[in-house]
Amino acid sequence: MKVLKLLLLPYMGAVIAAAFLWPEPAKGFIGESSRIVFFHVPCAWASTLAFLVAAVYSAGYLWKRNPWFDDVAAAAVRIGLLYGILTLITGSLFANIMWGSWWNWDPRESSYLLLVFLYAAYLFLRSAVEDPERRPRIAAAYALFAAVLMPFLVFVAPRVTASLHPQTVINPQGKILMDTPTRAVFFGAMAGFSGLFLWMLSIDARAARLRRTARNLHRD
Amino acid sequence: MSVLTRVWAVCAKDATQELRRRVAIVAVFFFAATALTLVSFAIGPFRLPADDRPALQAALLWIILFFAAATGLPRAFVAEEEAGTALALRKTVPATLVLAGKSLFNLVLFLAIAAVTIPGFLVLLDWKIGNAAAIAATMLAGGYGLAVVSTFLSALVARAGQRNVLFVLIAFPLVLPLLLTAIAATIEATGGAFPTTPLRVLVAYDGAATGAAYMLAEVAWED
Repeated sequence: MKVLKLLLLPYMGAVIAAAFLWPEPAKGFIGESSRIVFFHVPCAWASTLAFLVAAVYSAGYLWKRNPWFDDVAAAAVRIGLLYGILTLITGSLFANIMWGSWWNWDPRESSYLLLVFLYAAYLFLRSAVEDPERRPRIAAAYALFAAVLMPFLVFVAPRVTASLHPQTVINPQGKILMDTPTRAVFFGAMAGFSGLFLWMLSIDARAARLRRTARNLHRD
Repeated sequence: MSVLTRVWAVCAKDATQELRRRVAIVAVFFFAATALTLVSFAIGPFRLPADDRPALQAALLWIILFFAAATGLPRAFVAEEEAGTALALRKTVPATLVLAGKSLFNLVLFLAIAAVTIPGFLVLLDWKIGNAAAIAATMLAGGYGLAVVSTFLSALVARAGQRNVLFVLIAFPLVLPLLLTAIAATIEATGGAFPTTPLRVLVAYDGAATGAAYMLAEVAWED
């Protein structure tokens, strides 16, 4: 695991370099703006992955009532919030280049704004419940409830209404509309951002466990 | 006692309680009337361009309905904590049936708000409904989803701090897909079409919310 963590930095460096140097800019996009797909989509993926991790570990907490699962779920939401904000920032940069304004209330970009609100709501709910015994249970229930409704937010609502957003990787034709170099860098970036997310999650969750242990010792 | 009888008993209890005190119920309808008056005074039916009218009226209608409902729907479990009856209810009725009964009451409340607001819209904003059956179906499907989600979230915030602000913050991201789809359905119904796709999405959302609320009811209502 330590070797993988050490390799992550040079790997991400290679992905970033390749994103700017290897594939040609895609047709139908202004200038070099299509290169943002190597950062924007992996951030969106990491943000969604964070939510799935939070849901799974919330379910795990409700099943086993092991505080470690709550630590991981809360850490996943915190990091998901960060990646969600990065998704919005990179999306806004692209929107300004392509459509001349930072924000268009496009359904797809709005759905990620709401995902960020969802993460913030989870963290606010946790801070509002003062009882340390009830807090993980209430937070877990909210995370699972939101996980069931999230597909409507991220996948269904943007497809019910018309969107400016370019066709996604998951598209109705079921085809990946990328040439080989673009595909290689894109999936490389997806793997790199996923690895980065897991590493950050591990650090944050372990820090949360240490804080919890310190609080319990102080109480005793 | 059968399941349906117990669900109805919880619903009837909430209705009796709210009608007896009246403050909360009156506040909900007063909010809807005030918002409607403000909107119709500020905008009126003739300042809206004809092409944009269906979309704007649909959006305004659901904004008024949602915020009017948001003043009353969160009270489902909060009222039990305030009255000190939560423990008695917890010990006598299973959590899933309490949730069902309170959701039923909240659905009735939402439909009552809609029954007051829609005639106001017809008169004050000159709203022309193309397909009344579609509007009714949208109100039912949208109201049901709103009632279930609000009731469940009310159980989560019942014993938390800053309940009113907390409820709106945690409910907004979850009900927005429902509201967006309900607005899309209302726009189509105003034009005379039957909004098949948005209604299918609403029914799917309602089903998902019901299933999730049923599975998590015990956890939310646990002591």
